[in-house]
Amino acid sequence: MAGPLRVVQYLNQFFGGIGGEEIASMPLQVQRGAVGSGRALQPLLQGQAEVVATLICGDNYIHDQRDKALAVLTEQLQALQPDVLLAGPAFESGRYGLACTEVCKAAQAAGVPALAGMHPQNPGVESGRPDVLIVPTSASPADMQTALAAMVRLALKLGRREALGPAELEGFLPRGVRRTYVREAPGYQRALDMLAAKLTGQPFLTEVPIHIPERVAPAPPIARLAQATIALVTTGGLVRKGNPDKQVASNATRYFRHSVAELQSLSARDWEAYHSGYFNHIVNKNPNYILPLSFLRDLEGKGEIAGVYPWIYALPGVSTPVAQAKRMGADIAHELQEARVDGCLLVAT
Amino acid sequence: MTKEIERLGIPTAQISAIYEFAMTTGANRVVRGCRIEHVCGDPELGAEKDYAFGMRIVRTALAALQTAVDGPTLFDPAEMLEA
Repeated sequence: MAGPLRVVQYLNQFFGGIGGEEIASMPLQVQRGAVGSGRALQPLLQGQAEVVATLICGDNYIHDQRDKALAVLTEQLQALQPDVLLAGPAFESGRYGLACTEVCKAAQAAGVPALAGMHPQNPGVESGRPDVLIVPTSASPADMQTALAAMVRLALKLGRREALGPAELEGFLPRGVRRTYVREAPGYQRALDMLAAKLTGQPFLTEVPIHIPERVAPAPPIARLAQATIALVTTGGLVRKGNPDKQVASNATRYFRHSVAELQSLSARDWEAYHSGYFNHIVNKNPNYILPLSFLRDLEGKGEIAGVYPWIYALPGVSTPVAQAKRMGADIAHELQEARVDGCLLVAT
Repeated sequence: MTKEIERLGIPTAQISAIYEFAMTTGANRVVRGCRIEHVCGDPELGAEKDYAFGMRIVRTALAALQTAVDGPTLFDPAEMLEA
């Protein structure tokens, strides 16, 4: 490609050197060349690219007048015909980060490759997934040089329309896009190399990142158990005998609820387990092992709890994708909440 | 699923034999169950003791529902005082 790449930068009113919060409602304007914090960008491009224009917009304006702002932006990009657009870096600023994400989407729609820079916890990251390329930065604008340098590396590749490799190599946040390719060494060799590195304290890159499960704030405890209605849920695969509902034995996409209003206990005559993840025969003899109705009825009889919620919920909790479990859990949760259930026992196998 | 119910403010005790796993996944009130194949009891104990054991597990779970916790907390029936 002949000549330096043409770069456009998007900045908010503050980093564009116009003003602070008081001018956050300023409409989008164009300035020639690098402006504000963009002046730090130009030297990093080392003659390979040139900042031909800077688009500056107030953080409030771009949200309040989104369509108008993006229409003007698109017009400008069509006139300027840049090779790549850099938005930010926004660091921790939420409105700015979200703005950068919107700007990148608009630029991409107009055929201009784009990337943004911001802290991984910036809300702009979530709203950008999976389409927007985001280079992670620290939370502090004091790290402007480092942030811009990281963005420049990726910007030059994008500007040259080079194919991008995996996120961790190219320096942007993973977007959940998976491409298959052939690795150079067989799996066992890579695994042993990784293990050797780990044991000797050398750095290594995992091929299977572990996602830390989300935490949920604990619900406040029951104040008076004797006045409480308790609900029962099981992922032990409880079904009515003969499985008339035709529940599956694994990878359930739905649960079934059953009324136990008339029941003091789950009898082996009327209930069984259908769950491919464990040996069902013991529960088949006494289904209360996975849904302890008999015990709760006993306690209800003694006045220790007010009652048992008449609906029980069951599914086989094996090979259930987390997203499905979450969805089913949320459905059940809403029913229990509407019924004003005070507490829940969930038996997992 | 436990977390979704908890999220709406309903204290939920998850009774599981693989209790460490339940805690890792973030369930806040975890009750140690007997075995995967018979979570709330033990048929090896004979009818009477089996029932007593199951009752102890359930009482532990109800105690968990009445206990304020800050995060994943294990409630072990073996450590709960006799009701």
